[in-house]
Amino acid sequence: MTVLVRLVRYRVAVILGLTLLIASLTVSGFPSVTTLGLGLDRSATIGIIAIGMTVLLIARQIDLSVGSTFALAGITAIMLQPVIGIWPAALAGVLAGAAAGAFNGLLSVVFRVNALVATLATMLIFRSVAHWLTDSQPVPGTDIMLSLALSTVHLEIFTLRSALFVGSILLLHFWLTRTVAGRNLFAVGSNADAAEASGIAPGRTVFLAFVFAGTLAGVAGVLQSLTTNTGSPVFGAELIVTVIAAVVVGGTRIEGGRGSALGTLGGVLTIAALTTAMEFQSVPAYIQQVVVGLILILLVVLDRTVRPGPRTHAAAGVPG
Amino acid sequence: MTKAKTGTIVSALALLASVGWAEARTVCYVTAADAHAYATPANEALEARAEELGIEVITLSQNFDVQTGTQQLNTCIARNADGIILWPLDPQAYIPGLARAQQAEIPAILINSPMDEQANQFILSFTGPDVYEQGGMAADSLTDVLGGEGSVVVIAGQAGNGTTIGRVGGFVDRLAEIDSKIEVLDTVNADFDQQKALVVSRDLITRFGDGIDGVYANDDTMARGFIDAWKEARPGEPMPPIVGINGQRDAFESIKSGEMYSTIVQSPVEDGKLAIETMARILDGQEVGARLPIPLTVVTKANVDSVEPAF
Repeated sequence: MTVLVRLVRYRVAVILGLTLLIASLTVSGFPSVTTLGLGLDRSATIGIIAIGMTVLLIARQIDLSVGSTFALAGITAIMLQPVIGIWPAALAGVLAGAAAGAFNGLLSVVFRVNALVATLATMLIFRSVAHWLTDSQPVPGTDIMLSLALSTVHLEIFTLRSALFVGSILLLHFWLTRTVAGRNLFAVGSNADAAEASGIAPGRTVFLAFVFAGTLAGVAGVLQSLTTNTGSPVFGAELIVTVIAAVVVGGTRIEGGRGSALGTLGGVLTIAALTTAMEFQSVPAYIQQVVVGLILILLVVLDRTVRPGPRTHAAAGVPG
Repeated sequence: MTKAKTGTIVSALALLASVGWAEARTVCYVTAADAHAYATPANEALEARAEELGIEVITLSQNFDVQTGTQQLNTCIARNADGIILWPLDPQAYIPGLARAQQAEIPAILINSPMDEQANQFILSFTGPDVYEQGGMAADSLTDVLGGEGSVVVIAGQAGNGTTIGRVGGFVDRLAEIDSKIEVLDTVNADFDQQKALVVSRDLITRFGDGIDGVYANDDTMARGFIDAWKEARPGEPMPPIVGINGQRDAFESIKSGEMYSTIVQSPVEDGKLAIETMARILDGQEVGARLPIPLTVVTKANVDSVEPAF
């Protein structure tokens, strides 16, 4: 039983290990440094957004608009290039992401709109603004050489964005496990009333979590647009599902109060490894999604049935 | 003894040859989608012809998502394919991936849709229909049926897609070129999707109603969407003439029954075949043309019985 519990606790690592093992044995040419480097690069976009999503889910919130924010930030960064230069425009793109996050936070905290509903609305709004700004056409950037430079692989493994992703997730791990603010986040997600009673401001925490998630979606969007030298209103239309899947595969609960940075890293890498391995074998896209879906269900069911876990976490906060 | 030795050497050589041959010819094909009225027959034709040519094809489907496609290019490079056939859905976004392929000395060509000129240095050829020309042909066809004047709506494909840009651009440019009195009331995107076309057509019919003298749909699937919306909103009333592109079988039926005025036959089978044949020539070390078009035919009631539908 303890072995089983331990296996379940580290289920993401187990699944990731199994995926890599099976892929290495059955897919020729899979175990190579090039695959690792390109696999990390493909995880980076999803991963950077997943960092923000992890924080939001822990706080028992969700942001469905990250894909639209991603597009909007990229468009901002590209459209402003001829006006204010590449790097100021990139900064403006990230700020656009932060602003989108702040707007979500405002709706959710001040106007008390349920996060699912609020961000569903802003998902549609931001996407439409992206179409409106660009007249539904992709906008080319000013410097194609920059995008070639950004997609260069360093040390045979890292591109700029994959290094940024791995670095950020380690920072998030530190922040969640070692700082008061990180622990407060879990408290707010487990039981906002109890958190408030013990002197934490849940509203402020949730608001900042939204800003954080928006900013990271902005960073990912700006990097994507710089790397592809394009701001496109259709970018990121399919992202949200993969991001949530990666975070949940990583063991973060959609009900709030539980989750971890390293879990998310595992979730993101698992999905990237699965996808890459299946692409190597030319498995049709719809079958790939069935596999990812099944793994998601498997992990969540394992989590529910085996773990004896402290389910009383939330109840413990209520006196009496 | 000697005989056995020779036999061993021969079989070893044969093995080496077969391994070398198999490894020398793996082509990575990043397609637009794997379940789509046009893309599916194109994919199947490409794969079938590849088998005849002794080429192994790894097919990766973007499902119309550019982000996925740029990542799949990376997979092709990591997989160390001998050639890449890319179906681009954006004029710019794949350039870094194509550059990376070039660094890895993997030859790449484009199928079906064009990219911006900046991509040209990274590709050896672009095979597929001239979508800009199709837009012009559609404008001519609509000019014919409307007698050169009237108000039309344009139901365009996915925003930013090279095919959409070409088919809309060619249409608008041709109208401007002949100083046409045809006015475009609105251009809306319906992503080459029948259901989306149905929804946008309902809106167009509500907004413009009898003001719509003609319709130009970027493909026959979306033309079908407009036909259904019109039948639903104005049952029994005469349909404005509709011009589509692709030449699918149900468009031929619609032309026969008078629901559509014309379509332009562009065969996905030819599209897929030409791409893999071009790649095969590249792998054999031959020179190929930078732009290899597939034939196009305008189909109206006059010739609908003598032309084969594309799919």
